[in-house]
Amino acid sequence: MTDDALPEAAQRRLASGAFSSGLTIPDFSACLAMGLRPVGLVQGFCVMKWSWYGAGSPYLQASTPYSSGGGGYAESYRCPHGFVSGDHRSWGQNYEQTWVEAAWAQGFGSAYARLVDEAVATGAHGVIGVVDTARHLSDLAVTEFHILGTAVVVEEGSPPPDGRPWTTYLAGQRLAKLIEAGFMPVALAAAMSSVRVWAYCMTDYLMEGRNFTWGGAGAQEVDQVVRAHMAVRQLARAQVRGQLGGDALHGARLTTSHRELGEGDEVVECTLRGTRVRRFKDFDPVEPPMPTVRLS
Amino acid sequence: MSTATPADPSPDLRAEVRRATAALAATGHDHGRPVTSDLSIDEALLLHAVGWEPVDLVCGVSVVSVPSGVWNWGSGEIVAASQAQGLAFTGAANRIAEECGRAGGHGVVGVHVESTVQRHHVDVELVGTAVRPVGAAAKSDVFVSDLSGRDFSLLRQAGWIPVGLSYGASFVYAPRRSAGTSLRQTRENVELTNFTEAMYSARELAMERMQQTAITMGGKGIVEVKVTEGPMPFAHHAIGFAAWGTAVRLEAETHQYLRPKMVLPLDDAVVEFEAGSLRGQ
Repeated sequence: MTDDALPEAAQRRLASGAFSSGLTIPDFSACLAMGLRPVGLVQGFCVMKWSWYGAGSPYLQASTPYSSGGGGYAESYRCPHGFVSGDHRSWGQNYEQTWVEAAWAQGFGSAYARLVDEAVATGAHGVIGVVDTARHLSDLAVTEFHILGTAVVVEEGSPPPDGRPWTTYLAGQRLAKLIEAGFMPVALAAAMSSVRVWAYCMTDYLMEGRNFTWGGAGAQEVDQVVRAHMAVRQLARAQVRGQLGGDALHGARLTTSHRELGEGDEVVECTLRGTRVRRFKDFDPVEPPMPTVRLS
Repeated sequence: MSTATPADPSPDLRAEVRRATAALAATGHDHGRPVTSDLSIDEALLLHAVGWEPVDLVCGVSVVSVPSGVWNWGSGEIVAASQAQGLAFTGAANRIAEECGRAGGHGVVGVHVESTVQRHHVDVELVGTAVRPVGAAAKSDVFVSDLSGRDFSLLRQAGWIPVGLSYGASFVYAPRRSAGTSLRQTRENVELTNFTEAMYSARELAMERMQQTAITMGGKGIVEVKVTEGPMPFAHHAIGFAAWGTAVRLEAETHQYLRPKMVLPLDDAVVEFEAGSLRGQ
């Protein structure tokens, strides 16, 4: 899809004259009270195909302990047993799959840019109540990113400084409370990180419960897997921090998934989303809340 | 579309929104490490109300190996699995506390606990928000708590502080009956006393371990205890029990009674008269 124009159907819908909104009635009412006038339901899509990362793939960049993937986090593990056999996993590696992260960022970023383009076409100042999903289409290698929100104009307010509307996952009373607390939404912040665990012998044994046949005793942490899980979460947070530019992240949602590929090998992925917010006034602490008991 | 109304309900909020959007023209100020938080705005406001602020989103993970063969039929406690679960929880709690300390937090609140037991390994994941008294310097001794921002602020007001996340687990084999007993009981409504005793002691063991970790941390009690239990999906004859909660101790000289105000909501559902009620129905 070209970047210079909205799809014809989107242009026709947005020019129809009637406003549309994904807000609930309480959120809609709260936004009107704040001086936010809905002008249209805006959305962006992007369908991405994921390539093959296995043997023979142009993306496979860490088939030996001496290569370090596509840059980024990587660490190697060496077998403590010496030579055992040709099948023995004498080395292992954790490495960041930067090409997977880049593909996710491209998919999410394109869908997000298209949502903002639609908002610009409506003359909006901001987009509120954003909902985003990523789901598999037709088969496991095709994923659709879908981002949807309600474009609003601030009554008698300033247009966005660079012409690009601000965006937020929040709407209604939650947005009102955020602004009353002295924070203004700037943009969505989101990132995905991916780490591949290429197990060495010790990880393989521990994840299959077989270390104990090698003289291991008692419960034992699987160091390589633990470090991969910690790293993938740290990478996602570092990527999002890089998008904040001195602002804060509000309402963070961190989700992780992992696919076991067998014999200790696995892929761990972590997604972090939230709203980048900027402080525009000093914070006035509220009074300590009054505890109440309902008599109903 | 016009939104003007004769009596504008929130003129100040509208002015605040205009002021906020005008502030977007200014660039963000780099104050070092940016604040990240998974707290709701209500929780953040409540924290501020008691003099605390969010610092950073923090995580802790642990994966601990379980020896093969431990899920085979046996009797009594499955000690290796109980130890693995305890070690995984301790490892994850230590890591989230380390991340909190590095971020300059004094503790972690709103910790989400995700624990899965698989045939050969136990995984524990903890995610929460590091918090500190507003503007306070970093501290080495930090607490981890699964209390929400609201519950944490209430606890502080009552004069108590969290000291850590306490945890206990126990796995047991479901007791077997002899063929003769099983046959005899086919036509009886009878208590399976060996089952009752095994489950009873396993639950007690998990809770005892949880209480022991609280005592080790210097806690006087545990609040918001959660208990999970059930058969293992890969070994239905093995039953796992886990209990966790936030260990707390009194910081003030005495408990501060909060004296809640009585509130009578006026939005009750309409109760319609039913003729049948006259006949006691």
